[in-house]
Amino acid sequence: MASLTYLVLQNGSVYQGQGFGAQAPLASELKQGLKTYAHTGEVVFNTAMSGYYEVLTDPSYTGQIVAMTYPHMGNYGTDFAWNESGPEGDRPDRKVKAAGFVVRSLYRGPVPEGRDTLDNYLLKNKIPGVSEIDTRKLTLELRSQGSLMGLVLRPAETDKGLSQDELKTVSAYLAAYPSMVGANLIADVGSPTALSELPSELARTEHPALALSQTDTNSVPKGLNVALYDCGAKANIIRELSAFGCKVSVYPSTAGAQDILAGGHDGVLVSNGPGDPAVLTHQIAAIKGLIGKIPLTGICLGHQLISLALGAQTYKMKFGHHGINHPVRDELSKKVFVTSQNHGFAVKEEQLPTDVKVWFRNANDQSIEGIISESRKIYTAQFHPESAPGPYDSLWIFGAFLRGMKKA
Amino acid sequence: MPARKDIKKILIIGSGPIVIGQACEFDYSGNQAVRALKEEGYQVVLVNPNPATIMTTPGTADAIYLDPLEVNYLEQIIKIEKPDAVLPTMGGQTALNLTLDLHKAGILEKYGVEILGANIRAIELAEDRGLFKEVVASIGLNSAHSVLAHSVAEGMIFARENGLPLIIRPSFTLGGRGGSIASRWEDVEAYILRALEESPIHQTLIEESLLGWKEFEMEVMRDKADNAVIVCSIENVDPMGVHTGDSITVAPIQTLSDIEYQNMRTASIEILRKIGVDCGGSNVQFAVNPVDGRMIVIEMNPRVSRSSALASKATGFPIARCSAKLAVGYTLDEIINDITGKTVSCFEPSLDYVAVKVPRFEMEKFPRGYAELGTQMKSVGESLSIGRTFNEALNKAIRACEFGFSGLEDFAEVDEDTLELMLSTRHPRRIFGAYTALKRRGYGALTAISKKTGFDPWFLHNFWEQIELEQELTLHGGTKPLGSLLLMKAKRMGFADKRIAKLCGTNPAAIEAERNQLDIHASYHFVDTCSGEFEASTPYFYGTYGEINEALPMEGDGVIILASGPNRIGQGLEFDTCCTLSSMAYRKIGVKSVMVNSNPETVSTDFNVSDRLYIEPLTVEDVKELMLREGIKDVVVQLGGQTPLNMSEELEAWGAKIVGTPVLAIRAAEDRKLFSELITKLGLNQPPNRTIASLDNIQQMANEVGYPVLIRPSFVLGGRAMAIVYDDAELKDFLIRQKGLECSPERPILVDKFLEDAFEYDVDALCDTKNVYVAGIMQHIEAAGIHSGDSACVFPAYKSNPRIERQMLEATAKIAREIGVHGFLNIQFAVKDELLYVLEVNPRASRTVPFISKATGVNMVDAAVKSWRGQNLAKQGLIDSNKSGLDGVGLGSCITGWAVKEAVFSFDRFREVDPILGPEMKSTGEAIGLGASFGEAFSKAQAATGTILPIAGTAFITVNKHDRLAALPIVKNLVDLGFRISATKGTAEFLFKQGVFAEVVLKVHEGRPHIIDHMEHNRIDLIINTPLGRYTQRDDDYIRIEAVRRRIPYTTTISAAVAAVEGIRYLKGGEVTPRLLPSGTF
Ligand SMILES: Nc1ncnc2c1ncn2[C@@H]1O[C@H](COP(=O)(O)OP(=O)(O)O)[C@@H](O)[C@H]1O
Ligand SMILES: Nc1ncnc2c1ncn2[C@@H]1O[C@H](COP(=O)(O)OP(=O)(O)O)[C@@H](O)[C@H]1O
Ligand SMILES: [Mg+2]
Ligand SMILES: [Mg+2]
Repeated sequence: MASLTYLVLQNGSVYQGQGFGAQAPLASELKQGLKTYAHTGEVVFNTAMSGYYEVLTDPSYTGQIVAMTYPHMGNYGTDFAWNESGPEGDRPDRKVKAAGFVVRSLYRGPVPEGRDTLDNYLLKNKIPGVSEIDTRKLTLELRSQGSLMGLVLRPAETDKGLSQDELKTVSAYLAAYPSMVGANLIADVGSPTALSELPSELARTEHPALALSQTDTNSVPKGLNVALYDCGAKANIIRELSAFGCKVSVYPSTAGAQDILAGGHDGVLVSNGPGDPAVLTHQIAAIKGLIGKIPLTGICLGHQLISLALGAQTYKMKFGHHGINHPVRDELSKKVFVTSQNHGFAVKEEQLPTDVKVWFRNANDQSIEGIISESRKIYTAQFHPESAPGPYDSLWIFGAFLRGMKKA
Repeated sequence: MPARKDIKKILIIGSGPIVIGQACEFDYSGNQAVRALKEEGYQVVLVNPNPATIMTTPGTADAIYLDPLEVNYLEQIIKIEKPDAVLPTMGGQTALNLTLDLHKAGILEKYGVEILGANIRAIELAEDRGLFKEVVASIGLNSAHSVLAHSVAEGMIFARENGLPLIIRPSFTLGGRGGSIASRWEDVEAYILRALEESPIHQTLIEESLLGWKEFEMEVMRDKADNAVIVCSIENVDPMGVHTGDSITVAPIQTLSDIEYQNMRTASIEILRKIGVDCGGSNVQFAVNPVDGRMIVIEMNPRVSRSSALASKATGFPIARCSAKLAVGYTLDEIINDITGKTVSCFEPSLDYVAVKVPRFEMEKFPRGYAELGTQMKSVGESLSIGRTFNEALNKAIRACEFGFSGLEDFAEVDEDTLELMLSTRHPRRIFGAYTALKRRGYGALTAISKKTGFDPWFLHNFWEQIELEQELTLHGGTKPLGSLLLMKAKRMGFADKRIAKLCGTNPAAIEAERNQLDIHASYHFVDTCSGEFEASTPYFYGTYGEINEALPMEGDGVIILASGPNRIGQGLEFDTCCTLSSMAYRKIGVKSVMVNSNPETVSTDFNVSDRLYIEPLTVEDVKELMLREGIKDVVVQLGGQTPLNMSEELEAWGAKIVGTPVLAIRAAEDRKLFSELITKLGLNQPPNRTIASLDNIQQMANEVGYPVLIRPSFVLGGRAMAIVYDDAELKDFLIRQKGLECSPERPILVDKFLEDAFEYDVDALCDTKNVYVAGIMQHIEAAGIHSGDSACVFPAYKSNPRIERQMLEATAKIAREIGVHGFLNIQFAVKDELLYVLEVNPRASRTVPFISKATGVNMVDAAVKSWRGQNLAKQGLIDSNKSGLDGVGLGSCITGWAVKEAVFSFDRFREVDPILGPEMKSTGEAIGLGASFGEAFSKAQAATGTILPIAGTAFITVNKHDRLAALPIVKNLVDLGFRISATKGTAEFLFKQGVFAEVVLKVHEGRPHIIDHMEHNRIDLIINTPLGRYTQRDDDYIRIEAVRRRIPYTTTISAAVAAVEGIRYLKGGEVTPRLLPSGTF
């Protein structure tokens, strides 16, 4: 049953709401200086009006508490078929990647047969949620102050609320909590081992209806052998590759260039993933070893890592892009399409090598949304062409990736 | 790509008069289009015979024509103006169909006019239900199983195969006109026939039934570079089978998973692509099977629509404005979003609130028409409310709709049988039924109720949360304070104080007092298109409770304008236009304007019109809350019709400053008793009358006054519950029909002697407490007894007595000064036997203000605003004592030759309703005709309403005994004009005796072939019918019903018949002449 629960930010802001899902911790239960995957993280807002389940299970949200700007959540329940976590081998079961879920209003009514309620789903996955939060105020705060660390917790005295002591504990705890800048989180996501066979739920033979109506699918090479460099890949990336008829081999993020090159693949896709790309030195080095030797494609974190390997720099955005309504312009065709986005870091244009061009740009803030180099066979997207959640408008980019891999 | 340089002048076609299914949303879209195009440097020519619109206000377009939307007029206008292009997508189905006609007649080609915004092929593919299905199938999407029938026989074959129920939807009609749901075999043939008749191309779709499926709408924009966005997704709370215009709807979609939503999104865009909509907005409708999720495409509209206006207001994304820009060559990424000033228009709006639309029905006016809703739209207006949750928004929207509820409530008094009926039929109040059933039967009944009503469990569960709170409040009771927790919870549910008070058994004032004490007040959020991701620069607000307040007081002098709420019969576009004009006038002189309205269709809720816009219910409580935040005291109540006027006393008592005419003066005019005293005091005449404060002695009073009497309640508009009664028996009948009629010392009822056969006049005036400007005296074409809103009227008065006109002037000035009017004044006079009577005085802007302002070239609203800000009417140059012959009195004159206003009805929506007119208003809109002669103006006004006067053929005459003599010259004129005459037996005998030969036509009960048979065979071209026994016995109603159905021009009064003859005489003269609207001093 709902109980008084709080979201506390590192700047001292306190939001009061009602708990759902797993019970939030008490201040006394917090362990200072330790990274956790539940209840504490960087608070980001997401403006998607649908797709909460995909958001929750997206590995890129590892280490983040997600606040949804749309007020009603849980409306249509949860369904494992929508799960966005990629193959995770024998990792401890952590299907929900976000550390906490902050909403204005939680739906507690009946859901269609075969689905679970959001409340129950979070409970099962040990992730605390908090509803009845003024998410508008929270969003405006994050917009003006930038992303902040935060924590979902419950008070020791349920009828009184948080005490000054508790707040003091929390503030010390948050101050000592590892920051997102410099956070290496990919050790905790993605497949821990190489896989040459995919779990059946990730194999798909069809694309969403009409999603590729404007793409000349005949010109997309069939049967390519693609290496997925898994830094916390979303399931739908794999599903889309497999729908394009690719044979996908998964490499853990600990793999090096030689491991991947030895596989004899047609190309590599560096996946999305959580955290600050700049600290992922092993992966950057690995990608450096791949450039020029094999066609390289990347999505989100993958795009950032490839850019870093090319000598570019990344920066932390004020509050990032988290939503499914961002317009992106293809600088080659000048066409604009609506994309699904989830990133807090972005690539700076200045240090990009001259033989690498900006392929995509955000039509609102003009930030880089993808790079291309035909000579080096590099093709990347900062946004999520695999959607889930979000529009299918940029699904064609998988075709462009695959064509790039096959080009002589 | 920048705007096109190869076109200079663009013609925009408006949607004409307001009818059900095509209302002021097209003034909003047209107005946005005009402004967007002018911004780009184009010259804009506008045609729209609707005088009430903002778009036809001088100064909007470069050239404005108020001529009928008919091919012959348009051809003349194109000849004169030589536009390079026409933009047909802003004026609804009317503009689209007219453009198709112009194209088919080869006129566009002949004059080299290009079509912008939609191509002919796209319009045909989308509007032709058969072609559309082929497109849908070619993409691989599903439509309902159906046949496209061109004859009844063809339709019946399918009907037998498919079985019942069947959905019948004609091609190329708007608002589902002519459509029906056939669930009994005996109806099928008739329904198919009707649909074929309504379709301009004689084609109808007959479809398998998807009744009970979930219904969704997508508002899509697409540009020529194939960029596309979904502006808004809408879910209907009412399932399939209730027209989306009649459904309670919510934005965004609530109950679809992301995958389902994205599939629908992709399908909508693909449909636009295949249809070829490549520079504008469209609306695509879907049905989804609640059990297996199967998705079916219902239809698409390749133009801006009612739902696009709704979507624009619900999201802050101006669809019409963007569509206009796309039409002249821009792409979506080149158009900056007005609200954020940062994002481009291919950024899909994201909402962090819920927007709910509630339709408004006029169930009392067309009782028979509302037995059940269906595929044909019947609502006359709608309210939009925004809240942070569905319940909050829904409760606000229901209360904003002003039909007597402060939110979603249960009907405690409804018995189980009625309740079952409400659940299992498409009842206009079904949502209340569902709520009642859930509250009565408990949570366990949720699934059963969902199955019966087709309401998704999501909605019902939300209702349940409200029910739980209601029970908590009821349990708590009203004897002790609620406390901040419970009170805040109730306010966050969207409950009005009134509702909370009712639930706890206390009075609203107590709740308000506790709120004040606990400092629980509404806070306001921006409607910003982006869920707070970017800073908003356009202050468009909605209210909620317990959250951050973003509406900080403005700097400088400001005023609050209360608009008129949802459209209803008697209070519509005209009032909204006055509000918009006042906002513009205030801003011109540097006063900040704050608009408050709940009507999403209108220009006043365009967030560019005012300095600030609040989309909030127009109730005293909601208005007080926002005034508190704004810190503005001045409030304008004269322009939004009766809704704001009725709030003035309470607002003033609370501390607001009513702009212009003081509250006491308003009361003096509104209260029938005080008003009688005033008239007597001024030495004027009023029909003999009695005021009653209780229904007990109504019969006695009626007899004292003498039958016939007119019964009029106070504080109403549009003649609600007003009736003419001829004897005691009829009075009894009336009292039974009007069960629940309020009659109290606060709301007295007036029993008036009914003036038979009197002429009626309308006067609109301004007064600055001293000077009086009389804009004009309009003469009604129908006699007194037909509501002023329903009567055609002519300006200047036609053949009226100058002495009487002068008396009216004098009386107007006297009344205005005596009451102490500061601002608007409208008076209705009647003249009988050369004697002047005052029928009523309205201390507010009237329905005719936009009409008279245009005809005189003087913007009355602008003048009123200036006088409120200290510039009296004399200083404004409006007072000319020489011209008026009266000291301190000015008089407007018609600068357009003759101007005729004609009322427009939506009777064709309500099959069984007698289109007879009376003192209760029934029209939904109005049209104007301008001309050098009365006949010209009248014929144009008629054409603009869609009834083209015939120039030859047969006139059918059936008039009551009393009118026969008066009809004689009319009939003789018709004979001279070459008409054949037919008549019913009595009338024919009379005419024969007077030397006119008329063919005798039988009434229906007299045998066959009867009048209906004649009408069916197109053998009647004009009907002159004055009902027998006046307004009471309506044994000939079927004639008028049939005339409406077949669009045969008919008149029900002698004076209208005279006017028709004048009009016919003009039309016989040959070619039509469009008239450019002069701008006067606008
Ligand atoms: N096959 C059907 N079964 C049940 N209801 C239908 C069917 N087709 C349409 N409707 C209902 O009729 C309404 C009007 O149909 P629509 O094609 O949208 O006409 P309009 O052009 O008037 O909007 C829809 O909103 C829907 O509720
Ligand atoms: N005493 C009367 N005799 C004849 N007709 C009347 C009389 N009083 C009112 N009417 C008619 O009834 C109509 C509506 O009455 P009115 O008082 O103007 O109502 P509303 O407030 O709705 O405008 C008038 O336009 C007029 O035609
Ligand atoms: Mg429709
Ligand atoms: Mg009146």
